[in-house]
Amino acid sequence: MKYLEEVKTLLTDVLNLGPAGASLTADSPLLGSLPELDSMAVVTLIGALDEQFGIAIDDDDISASTFATLGSLAAFVEERAA
Amino acid sequence: MSAPGHAPADAFFLDTADGQRFCLYHAAVGDCRGALVYVHPFAEEMNRSRRMAALQARALAAQGIAVLLLDLHGCGDSAGDFGDASWDSWLRDIAQARAWLEQRTGRTAGLWGLRLGALLAVCHAQRAPVPPARLLLWQPVTIGSGYLNQFLRLRLAGELLAGGSDSGGTDALREALKAGEALEIAGYALSPALAGGIDGADARALAPRCPIDWCEVVAAPERPLPPAAARVVDTWRLQGSRVNVHLAAGPQFWAAPETIDCPNLIAASSAALMNHADA
Repeated sequence: MKYLEEVKTLLTDVLNLGPAGASLTADSPLLGSLPELDSMAVVTLIGALDEQFGIAIDDDDISASTFATLGSLAAFVEERAA
Repeated sequence: MSAPGHAPADAFFLDTADGQRFCLYHAAVGDCRGALVYVHPFAEEMNRSRRMAALQARALAAQGIAVLLLDLHGCGDSAGDFGDASWDSWLRDIAQARAWLEQRTGRTAGLWGLRLGALLAVCHAQRAPVPPARLLLWQPVTIGSGYLNQFLRLRLAGELLAGGSDSGGTDALREALKAGEALEIAGYALSPALAGGIDGADARALAPRCPIDWCEVVAAPERPLPPAAARVVDTWRLQGSRVNVHLAAGPQFWAAPETIDCPNLIAASSAALMNHADA
């Protein structure tokens, strides 16, 4: 998956996951599983994705399917950055 | 028990026509060579950045710069409800705090602001009859409407985490505000008046007429200033403002649920103000 590593790095930075971030895989669940991912973190993450990949993110994208796993988030970035 | 390695701050309430405002005053150690009023960020970001504000205030006081940490109308320990605060009442608070600090130190004070507090500081500098001595901007919000959108999205994100969405997007929330309805977002009552003030604030409108130190926190040392910030810096420079940009690698502490420090930002800010003969 093209953006997996970049999204993982971004997520690790934004949530301050430290070394624990390195063990995340495409299948790692995010929403509801990472305690660091609170509502402020979701909004900060959206801002960071926008800034780093230059993708516009709509309200509708703030959905459970986008933030389900690291893989689903990377797939979302790939779709929008295309 | 050991004594703290810094002088304690004086806590007091500043009387204003709008009510009492809680303040923490860090007097300059030794000769006072400058003065700054700190303007905190918005809502939960204020709480999350308290420690960094205290650390920076102590560092500046130690190098001879008096710092007044102000809680705005309806925030922190100041009087009033958050839901009754407005952009203009906040700007009045800043003017009053500046007047107090200038009387106390005998110097023209500068403003130091974080995130939305930096945009407030810029708006003060755009309007004040006597410009502040300088601006120290930390990760400034430059366009209020974009920031308001992010805040409205907190509600969408909160609903997402709670497992369901019913507010119908930021457009619907903006419509509700326009219709005069206050919104409850992340535990804060956002009034139409305050939302309108934030929405209309724009750092690009007028370059502040004072020296500016712009500090941006970046994820890694080699990262550049983000394009949106660079555009505002360029605009201000074209209008004749002196803007020094400082990049500090570190965490976005104002958004982090755990209290976390960004020592590079403190070092960069202290160095920037040390370089000015008259801070």
